[in-house]
Amino acid sequence: MGIDRRSFIAFVVGGTVGVVCSPIPWKLLDDISIWSQNWPWIPKLKYGQRSKVSSVCKLCNGGCGLDVHKVGKRPVTVQGGVEHPLSKGGICPLGACGVRLLYRPARIKGPLKVTNGKPSPISWDEAKQILVERLKGKKVGCISGDETGTASEVLAGLIAKLGSNDFYFMPTDSQSAGFTWKKMNGQGQLGFDLENSDYVLALGADLLSSWGNVVRNQKAFAERKGSWVYAGPHQLTTGASVDKWIPVYPGQEGVLALGIAYYLLQAGKTAGIDNFSEVKDYVLAKYTPVTVEAKTGVRASKVKELAKELLQAKSPLVLIGSEANQGSGSFEWASCILVNLLLGNFNQKGGLVALPEVQVISDAPSRLQLSQNVLANFLSQVAGGQKQVDTLLVYEANPLYALPKATQVEQAWAKVGFKVSFSTFLDETALQSDLILPSAYFLERYDDVYTPFGCANSIYSIGAPVLKPITDSKSIPDFILNVAKQVGVDLGYSSFEDVLKAKAQKLGADFDKLVEGEAYVGQEKVAQTGLSLNPEVLGNGLQPESEGLFFAPLVKNYYGNLQQALTPTQVVVIPDTELKNKYVYVQINSSTARKLKLKSEDKVKLQGSGAECVAKVHITETVMNDVILMPLGFGHSAWDEYVKGKGDNALKVLNVVEEKGSGLKVWTRSQVKVVRA
Amino acid sequence: MAKGKSCVLLPFVVGLVGALIVGWWVFPQVLFSQKSQPIRFSHKVHVEDQDMACEDCHTFREDGSFAGIPTTEQCAECHSEVQGDDPAEKEFVEKYVEKGKEVPWLIYQKQPDNVFFSHIAHKNIPCKTCHPDVGHSDTPPPYYENRITGYSKDTMKMWKCERCHAQRGASNACYVCHK
Repeated sequence: MGIDRRSFIAFVVGGTVGVVCSPIPWKLLDDISIWSQNWPWIPKLKYGQRSKVSSVCKLCNGGCGLDVHKVGKRPVTVQGGVEHPLSKGGICPLGACGVRLLYRPARIKGPLKVTNGKPSPISWDEAKQILVERLKGKKVGCISGDETGTASEVLAGLIAKLGSNDFYFMPTDSQSAGFTWKKMNGQGQLGFDLENSDYVLALGADLLSSWGNVVRNQKAFAERKGSWVYAGPHQLTTGASVDKWIPVYPGQEGVLALGIAYYLLQAGKTAGIDNFSEVKDYVLAKYTPVTVEAKTGVRASKVKELAKELLQAKSPLVLIGSEANQGSGSFEWASCILVNLLLGNFNQKGGLVALPEVQVISDAPSRLQLSQNVLANFLSQVAGGQKQVDTLLVYEANPLYALPKATQVEQAWAKVGFKVSFSTFLDETALQSDLILPSAYFLERYDDVYTPFGCANSIYSIGAPVLKPITDSKSIPDFILNVAKQVGVDLGYSSFEDVLKAKAQKLGADFDKLVEGEAYVGQEKVAQTGLSLNPEVLGNGLQPESEGLFFAPLVKNYYGNLQQALTPTQVVVIPDTELKNKYVYVQINSSTARKLKLKSEDKVKLQGSGAECVAKVHITETVMNDVILMPLGFGHSAWDEYVKGKGDNALKVLNVVEEKGSGLKVWTRSQVKVVRA
Repeated sequence: MAKGKSCVLLPFVVGLVGALIVGWWVFPQVLFSQKSQPIRFSHKVHVEDQDMACEDCHTFREDGSFAGIPTTEQCAECHSEVQGDDPAEKEFVEKYVEKGKEVPWLIYQKQPDNVFFSHIAHKNIPCKTCHPDVGHSDTPPPYYENRITGYSKDTMKMWKCERCHAQRGASNACYVCHK
């Protein structure tokens, strides 16, 4: 029997009927529809037990407690530590990115050695060997961006035992305050009891956006016992929320403080400083209402009213600060301290307080001592050839981005023989270093925070590792303790965990409870004797202004900060009036715009200190006359696609001047020229 | 004419039967790959010899979520060291407990992430209704993975969920399972 056409068709029809009656077409159709949804980029959930552990945030120096939520062994999100005395369940936009930043593309994957500009991976053992050779018998310096952590104490101890005094913190308001306080023969760390004050006057201190621990400030504001007044150049942040906004030119807040002091002195107030009569005579002679009105833009009657309100309050408190949390001088801080002393609130409830320090690394200078080491002066000396540095260690800081160009940071950097960056992320400074040693992310290591700047009590918090490092990174203090042994330096501890245990013990706190999130709170205050104030420092407020507009950097913590660039999560929340496409927007009011013949969206150049920034114009009436604001935190040349090449860096155009009587380099009194681009 | 009829019927039947064999027997063999669990876990040893209850390992957490298969850490509460002569236990301790790794168990009924299934809402339904009865097995049954979708052969399809919900008077609204 042959197969003819009819039998073949019958076979095919039979086969087709069989196929239709089988699962083949129906199952295939179903499976293909499922397969078409299996895209590789769809994230797959990892299931596990939900749990919560405590940690402490190291994304700024604020030191908020964090509650880290985990699924299985993996952290998934953070919330403000509910039991923590600073955060009280609150969290800032940057802290809220705490877990997501673990996976930031800019994370450094492992140790890198840079030869002829080309980085190549090396092992940690090789890195240690290189570092040991670069430390033995060399002139060593260190810059740290961690002013509240014991990691800096370990580094400062190493630097001191290597025979160097060149340990520097990045210049913050905290550093300027400490510098000034020590020069006044003060002891301890200054704090401000916002929680118990019934009248808070913030002079330039952007309490609700950038000054001190912002979450703590916001909590104190929400539960305020009286009025909060903000004197500053704009109403975009703190000025928008407080009870009263008083427009004052940027950098002139110290003058306003002395204008208030004038009325307090006239009212017969005294301050417990040894040369009080000298200071009194100086203020009454030099900071007359007419002078203060001309310098600050605040009417004399308004200054008098402020003084009256302070005198009427039971627990008045005056704070000062710079818009960018850096670059303030002794003038501002001495003025602020003087007003508080005149108000008689020192170490009183709701007043200015001095808090004890604690340290456990022998020979490491105290935080107050370290505040006498001024980074800008060091850079100037290195750039000028007066000081030689063979090896410079940079810990959790990004000086090549976060300092004004005028500090000569780039010139100094070029003169240092060998640069080592201990950074979690590939920032501008790491990119220009000879050895890049990735620091484990704060959730991957032991770390601590002792009394962030501004706190009214001593507070100590510890964070234990929440997960193992996801890159080939290490706890740098542990690495340094190991390196120290190799160079013959005994810092007294074999692990950083032991250092933290010793610190907890010294404070009388329970280490295990600290790790569980129960922060130590100390009530002790440091009494003072022999305070004095150099009137020459107070004279800095009388310096004539240069030409141009008053310039103020605008800081919002969703921009990131000077350590942590704008986060991938926050890129989308920046309004078009602050950053659009590749342009950052400077903010001026319509009166200033008319003077400059500018309108919205005009492209301008800001010129100052031999450099210039490019930006576009946004006109808003929330900025005072003759002031130009520029968002700070843009213009990065490193990091990742989320920030690289977006906007310009406001720090480039700041003027750096040496303050009379203190020698501090300051850049809060900057002025810029604005021209069309 | 009769010759012609036989020429049509036979090929039709051959085609039909052949296609049915391919469709119902060969196709499933080709569609699913057979896999074994990474470790031969004996429920029999644990349930019968050690007198353990299902709930000792397959627990509900405090928040009501179902823990599913225990983690290596939980297994290590008893198996931190090799206890017997079973090579599977030795392999488990050496490969997973000592290295702190999770065993990549193959889950017979794993639902995709867009399905929210609450075990505690179904706790009154016997496990065997949905899961294979492995409580007394000495070797886990083979796992069949769909070569096209990547899902297990035993993954419950939506119509089965809906049928059961309908039979029991439970809601079949989308948001009940798709949050």
